[in-house]
Amino acid sequence: MPSSSDQPDVLRGTLDLLVLKTLTLEPMHGWGIAQRIEQCSRGILGINQGSLYLALQRLQQRGCIAAEWRASENNRRAKYYRVTAAGRRLLGDETTSWRQYVSAVEWVLGAS
Amino acid sequence: MLNRLRYAAAALLGRARVDRDLDDEIAFHIDRETERNVERGLTPDEARRQALVMFGGAERLKEAHRDARGTRWLEDVVSDARYALRGLKRNWALTIAAIGTLALVIGANTAIFSAVDAVLLRPLPFADPDRLVMIGENNREFLWHMADAAPANYLDWRARVPGFSDAMAYADFPLSVTLMVDGAPQLAPAAIVTGNFFSVLGINAEIGRTLRDEETWRGGANVVVISDRLWRRTLGGKASIVGSTISIGGAPATVVGVAPPSFRFPRADVDIWTPISWPKEQVSAISFRRAHWLRVVARLKPGVSAADASVQLRDVAQQLKVEYPVTNRIMEAELAPLHRFLVGDTRLPLLIVLGAVGLLLLIACANVGNLQLVRAASRQREVAVRVALGAGRLRLMRQAFTESLLLAAIGGALGIVLGWLGTRLLVALQPADGSMVPVAGFTVDWRVAAFVLGISAVCGLLFGLAPAAWSSGRSPNEALAAGGRAGSQSSRVRGWSEKLAVVEVAIALALTVGAGLLVRSYSRLLNVDPGFDSRNVLATSIELPPTRYNTAASTSQFFEQLVARVRAIPGVVNVAAVTQLPLTMPGWSSDFSIEGASAGNFSVSLVHRQVTPDYFQTMRVPLLRGRWFTTADRGAPYVIVINDEFARTYFKGQDPVGQRITFDKTPDSSSTWRTIVGVVGSEHQISPATPPANEAIAPFTQEQSRSMSIIARTSGDPVAIAPAVRRSVSELDPQLAIASIRTMADVRAASMSRDRFLMTLLSLFGVLGFVLAIVGVYGVVAQLARSRTREMGIRIALGARGSAVQWLVVRHGLVITTLGVVIGGAGALLGARVLARVLYGIAPTDAPTFLLVIAALIGAALAASWLPALRSGRVDPVMILRDE
Repeated sequence: MPSSSDQPDVLRGTLDLLVLKTLTLEPMHGWGIAQRIEQCSRGILGINQGSLYLALQRLQQRGCIAAEWRASENNRRAKYYRVTAAGRRLLGDETTSWRQYVSAVEWVLGAS
Repeated sequence: MLNRLRYAAAALLGRARVDRDLDDEIAFHIDRETERNVERGLTPDEARRQALVMFGGAERLKEAHRDARGTRWLEDVVSDARYALRGLKRNWALTIAAIGTLALVIGANTAIFSAVDAVLLRPLPFADPDRLVMIGENNREFLWHMADAAPANYLDWRARVPGFSDAMAYADFPLSVTLMVDGAPQLAPAAIVTGNFFSVLGINAEIGRTLRDEETWRGGANVVVISDRLWRRTLGGKASIVGSTISIGGAPATVVGVAPPSFRFPRADVDIWTPISWPKEQVSAISFRRAHWLRVVARLKPGVSAADASVQLRDVAQQLKVEYPVTNRIMEAELAPLHRFLVGDTRLPLLIVLGAVGLLLLIACANVGNLQLVRAASRQREVAVRVALGAGRLRLMRQAFTESLLLAAIGGALGIVLGWLGTRLLVALQPADGSMVPVAGFTVDWRVAAFVLGISAVCGLLFGLAPAAWSSGRSPNEALAAGGRAGSQSSRVRGWSEKLAVVEVAIALALTVGAGLLVRSYSRLLNVDPGFDSRNVLATSIELPPTRYNTAASTSQFFEQLVARVRAIPGVVNVAAVTQLPLTMPGWSSDFSIEGASAGNFSVSLVHRQVTPDYFQTMRVPLLRGRWFTTADRGAPYVIVINDEFARTYFKGQDPVGQRITFDKTPDSSSTWRTIVGVVGSEHQISPATPPANEAIAPFTQEQSRSMSIIARTSGDPVAIAPAVRRSVSELDPQLAIASIRTMADVRAASMSRDRFLMTLLSLFGVLGFVLAIVGVYGVVAQLARSRTREMGIRIALGARGSAVQWLVVRHGLVITTLGVVIGGAGALLGARVLARVLYGIAPTDAPTFLLVIAALIGAALAASWLPALRSGRVDPVMILRDE
């Protein structure tokens, strides 16, 4: 079992991006989002639970995601989030700028 | 942004639900994590423990979540308000005193502001009112300024000033016409106007049409526009009124339209607008340029400024001087914005009242500020504890302000209600002719409400200032060290409340001095001898319609018969008729010359009246020389009686009786000479404040008028004979309507109504301010005396006499009052100058008024300080020391 202290924290600012991306696959509750990000990053990225819920609140305030209560996969009441149109736009923009950022950092690191 | 607001609003409204949601969400997360750990083979307990560890600080998350909702400040405000409300409830006596004071004063401000708003601030209810100007004539020899215009001059201005898009005119005198409604005569206030009257103002008819330009001239059908009020209340209110015929003064007239309900120009009560109907051939007659009786309103062309038009108008007046030297030799023309002209004399009194009520507001703020300080001081331990526990200064200040603003809000809400009542009171108080507030009506609307909101907020901030400054400047040590001794006061509180009391006394002094000056001025006015005896005289005005009374004989017959009938009424001592009652307005005026005296010596015009023989005896106007009129004057050579003012000004040392005058500056062979047969005492033509003008009075037997007032002196209450007078009129002419019947005492009171209005309001505010200031002084002294009870007890225990201890307390009140009097006195000396123009026979620096008010204030403050002093003097040292 991976313990959270071994994992690198998600970079500040990229959590919103990861949450949005995860939610484009399907509407999901908070725990599920954390699981999904961990799985997709092959266990490399760990999510601070507190930050996750604050990020969800932040995105909701900006109208990028919407929330509703419904039954979960184990038949419990859970709060599901889904991406809104504004959220998809933001994801597109943020993904582009993230890719630019990554390649820029690569170039710098690759320079000898 | 919008999303944020929506989220914040939802979070605020459903605060409990949002919190619960988050709890549920966290619980679900931990349960799910636990399940997964169990699936991995952990014991349930261990699985849950690890899930909790994994999640981290749930409470910290909740707090961060709450902060991020963006509603924190609002929640703080709500909790501040709750706290403030609790505080206000705890000390309800103080709270009621504060709210009562605020409501009263904000109410007074509301009422006065609504009047000021209606008269001074609101634009006139015409199309593009800024483009409208009033034109008047100036004549330096007659001392005319913006005076009535002559018809021919008006027509020339209209035709020649390029900057006017059009100019209209109306007769500048109130007029009533007799309207026959279902066979019964009824008087209707009317206005005589040019055909373009409505179009220049930009007013369209409610139904039908307004007047047409060509209807200025005689020749067409007899048409009128009627008011909405007359249409609905008297004439049935049906649309078929347009085109129907009504009987006005015995002649038929066609109603062409109904004016909109809000249109009340040139006078508020006008019911009928009738065209001026000039005969075209009269335009060139000299009387058309000599008689001045029109008010002229012009509309400026777009892009033309009032200054440009003014220059053009002056040029035209210059041309007319050259073209018509006989009438226009020194006649100038001037224009002024219509609104400013109409507001005229009411501007200053209204602003004075507004200033006074504003000062009252300041006193109230200081007073409530002091109450708040007392409250704050009684809570100093609580505040100290909060500071010690880490409450921020800003937070404490905000708390203090919240409480003040809450008070102001409650006071303001009540104030609006009181203010609405106040506007009713103002309407009732204002002069009957509506001259004080010359608008259709005024009430509390959203503009006034916004004003109240504004002053309430300013109030709250003002009187919150002292407690806020005080509570933020506290060190917990100081307050806690003061211990549990109730009512002990830091020197800081004392300093603040003393300053506030000084301010109160200073403003109250200024306010009361202003009120005192007006009261003294009014009592001087009351004592002015108007030149006649106003007691036990009944008066009523009658206007004979020219259609049925078109000869001098019929007119004089009617009035002579009426006078005879009224004389026969039991209780009538004497009766007469006169063209113009004194203390209303001057009759027509002209220039004049005295036989044998060189022309050009006379620079003032002469006012005229006609009277029936017994007028002077009925009014008890003294005969100084010569004789009164008699019936023997009928058919005899023209005679005239002049007033004392005229005799003293123009017949210095000589006997005027037997000399001849004519109403013409440059007499020629066509002039009519009149022999002076008597000199009588001068009556005030306009008001007690306006000195009598030179007057020439002609006998009705020689010069008739269709418009006369009947006056009757009675042995008992004059009102008792009113029904009999009415009956006499309808017996003589059943088709004649009679205007209201008044007593001359009413007429006299009405001539001073504006002064009375101003005096009443200022006295009211003065008394209120005075009482508030004295209460303020009492509060401060009493608070101080209480806080020094221990000290007093010790002093007495050590042998001080009671009177010495009392003096300590009284001295405190005296110092505050004296300081306030010195500051306020200086302010009043400077500020009273604005009153100069509304004062009669008294200087704004009138020493007796100042001294009296100062003495009264100091006396009252002494008395107010004496009460707490008495208590201090009676302190029982044993009781005090045992309490410790």
